[in-house]
Amino acid sequence: MKIDTNYFGEIEIDEQEILEFKQGLPGFLDEKQFILLNFDEAAAFQVLQSIKTKALAFIVVTPFDFVSDYQVTLDDVTLEQLEITTEEEVLILNLVTLKGTLKESTSNLQAPVVINTSNRYAKQIILHTTVYPTKASIFENEDARGAK
Amino acid sequence: MLVLGRKKGEKIIIGNDIEIEVLSIDGDQVKLGISAPRLIDVHRHEVYEAIQRENNEAAQFKNIDQLFLK
Repeated sequence: MKIDTNYFGEIEIDEQEILEFKQGLPGFLDEKQFILLNFDEAAAFQVLQSIKTKALAFIVVTPFDFVSDYQVTLDDVTLEQLEITTEEEVLILNLVTLKGTLKESTSNLQAPVVINTSNRYAKQIILHTTVYPTKASIFENEDARGAK
Repeated sequence: MLVLGRKKGEKIIIGNDIEIEVLSIDGDQVKLGISAPRLIDVHRHEVYEAIQRENNEAAQFKNIDQLFLK
């Protein structure tokens, strides 16, 4: 199918790759379908693009590339909701809040997006621990460009 | 807004299956026990609000060129 995207114009996507956020995301409860799109130039970052809303596209990052000791504990409710059975099928991504420069930009470590890569069920969970901030400065040491 | 007075050990029920019990009261601190169906998420309101705010901010269209600059 074809969709309109915020950063890539109109593109053809494989419907099999659509992620199902059954509960939406906090602040975007009506947005239940997204797709992950890649930048050619900056492999560390991806775009989580809404299927139905062109203007809704989050920049996301694999947290472990920047915070090596980042830990996400999935509770039973999440495992059940996403029908997760093995650790290998889990993909964790964090939303990035862009500022004027990458160094000033932050990532929301308290609310990671959890994706079951087997069935494409996804959910933004809120960690009950308070050790991870919603505005974590994880790019301070990056010289822009997310080349990893 | 519905206002209900409850004492320690008393509960309220929301819908058919969400129960909230006053476990203890200590000055201005109230401890609540919440029994809800497994698929309902329960969070502190201010935490949920913070995530909403951050999501809204993250969704703002920004110049993404910075991601690629050397």
